[in-house]
Amino acid sequence: MVLALKELLYSKGRFIMIGFIIVLISWLVFILSGLGTGLSALSTGVVSQADITGIVFEEGSEYSLSKSNISSSLSEEVSKQEGVTDTAEISTFNTSVRKEGTANENEKITDVVLIGIEPNSFMQPDIVEGSTWNTSEQTQVIADASLQSEGYSIGDSIEFSGTDKAVTIVGFTENKTLYHQSALYAQTDDFRDIRFSEPELANGAEDSVSGIAIQGDEVNMAALSEPGSGIEYGTKEETIKAIPGYVAENATIMMMLWFLMIISAFILGVFFYVLTNQKTHQFGVLKAIGGSNGFIMRSVVSQVFVLSLISILLGIGLTYLTVLALPETMPFQLETNMVVIYSAVLLVISVLSSLFSVARISKIDPLTALGRIE
Amino acid sequence: MTGIQLTNVTKKYIENKFEITALENVSVRVEAGEFVAIVGPSGSGKSTFLSIAGALLKPTEGQVLINNQDITSLHEKQLSSVRLNQIGFILQTANLIPYLTAVDQLLIVKKMKGSVSKEDRAFALQLLKDLGLENKENKFPNECSGGERQRVAIARAFMNDPDIILADEPTSSLDTKRGHEVVQLMAEQVKLRGKSAIMVTHDERMLDYCDRVYRIEDGVLTEEVHTQLA
Repeated sequence: MVLALKELLYSKGRFIMIGFIIVLISWLVFILSGLGTGLSALSTGVVSQADITGIVFEEGSEYSLSKSNISSSLSEEVSKQEGVTDTAEISTFNTSVRKEGTANENEKITDVVLIGIEPNSFMQPDIVEGSTWNTSEQTQVIADASLQSEGYSIGDSIEFSGTDKAVTIVGFTENKTLYHQSALYAQTDDFRDIRFSEPELANGAEDSVSGIAIQGDEVNMAALSEPGSGIEYGTKEETIKAIPGYVAENATIMMMLWFLMIISAFILGVFFYVLTNQKTHQFGVLKAIGGSNGFIMRSVVSQVFVLSLISILLGIGLTYLTVLALPETMPFQLETNMVVIYSAVLLVISVLSSLFSVARISKIDPLTALGRIE
Repeated sequence: MTGIQLTNVTKKYIENKFEITALENVSVRVEAGEFVAIVGPSGSGKSTFLSIAGALLKPTEGQVLINNQDITSLHEKQLSSVRLNQIGFILQTANLIPYLTAVDQLLIVKKMKGSVSKEDRAFALQLLKDLGLENKENKFPNECSGGERQRVAIARAFMNDPDIILADEPTSSLDTKRGHEVVQLMAEQVKLRGKSAIMVTHDERMLDYCDRVYRIEDGVLTEEVHTQLA
């Protein structure tokens, strides 16, 4: 260990070069990971950030809220199922909004997902700014913070396309997006007013919702969701996977991440191999004066470990600095546990890639120390 | 007895289907406190002799006793322990580790055994002082002269207090004056600390410091009648 550190300090230039490569690789890994998390949150936030076990859908909707339509009266039956501790209605409606009174101007229109929930249910979003709905006359919504960068703020009155209904933003929540669009949370009654702006649109669906989210451990919905029963049950994971584009998006980024890891394993492996080869004579000397294979191997591996650890920490630092420089609208979300996992994987990869050259050490003949073999 | 004894050692190599005898029936015994030189032209088997005595190479036939222990039957792990604990090697081009200071060159030997104590550090500094390397403790090899490097290597060989000291052409890269200095220091330390020392050299100028001189030619070792200076 001491031998390893002394060499690191002595041959700084050489090790800074290798360290720099590890820094760049880990930097890129963390950026990609943050981008991946950010993008998937953008496409699934409303579901993935909610504390739910699963959602009950209309049969044939393929776990998609936008295709599903069931009666809210089902809640009672759903809550009686095995393992279910709580239920909450959820409705979604893809629409677009603009600031009130700008209909005839060139003011921007923003696509949003309107979400209808019952107040005080577990689906109610946490407020990061402003307040939640109160009981005043005005129709009120809670908006995702991403709408702030579109120019909306608390107290703004907004109207929906196709209706003259106007609502007021009273509070902001965060990371609540769906289908890459910002979410607006309204109470179920208000939601219906907006969704079915013309009474005939409702057409007997006065009490319909998109789905019923449930909470509970070891939920068994088999009894309720038999084929032909008109409903189907999707776990949280199934629901997220069914969100359009999510799987393709996620798979692409994951593929880039793991390719990067594999490539880095090879690059580092070759680097350490060349480094070990250069030191053949030196290791021969150490062996001739009595150093065991284990002593030399430990020294090499601990060197790689220390070098990688420092480089990865630098990479993490660089990543957090990069985050400061990224534009608000960029979907970037760095999760501490992902940083920890990828750091560990990178560390393991670099140590493993050095084992390749460590295997060579045992084959070095201490006779090389004599500088000649007769 | 302490010391090293080679009995009827023969070493044969196979090279391009021809058998080459590098050492033939060599027997030599060096007691504690003796400083023995082995001289011979290049290709005479000097290095093979040293490699076998130093537990780096196994003989084809014969026996090597180090402190009465036969090392010819030991396997690699035990051999490296023998080299660490019982043999001090002084290699021809000093062969120091480039990124260690003089005192660390010595302490690394202790490190291989386990840990470095305060006494070890004091002993290392004393050894360097004995070899005239005061104020050079924190110099890296590239900051030392050739003679200084060779003296650090000698100090390193003594660091683990081994019974056997083996030197491979310790003067090959030094001028006459520094060569004499280095060999004289070596002889002093061998006597002072009661080691069995073998120096392989082709440098006839250095033989005056040795108790006995052997000549090696084509793998055959013969003792030379040598008038020792008082």
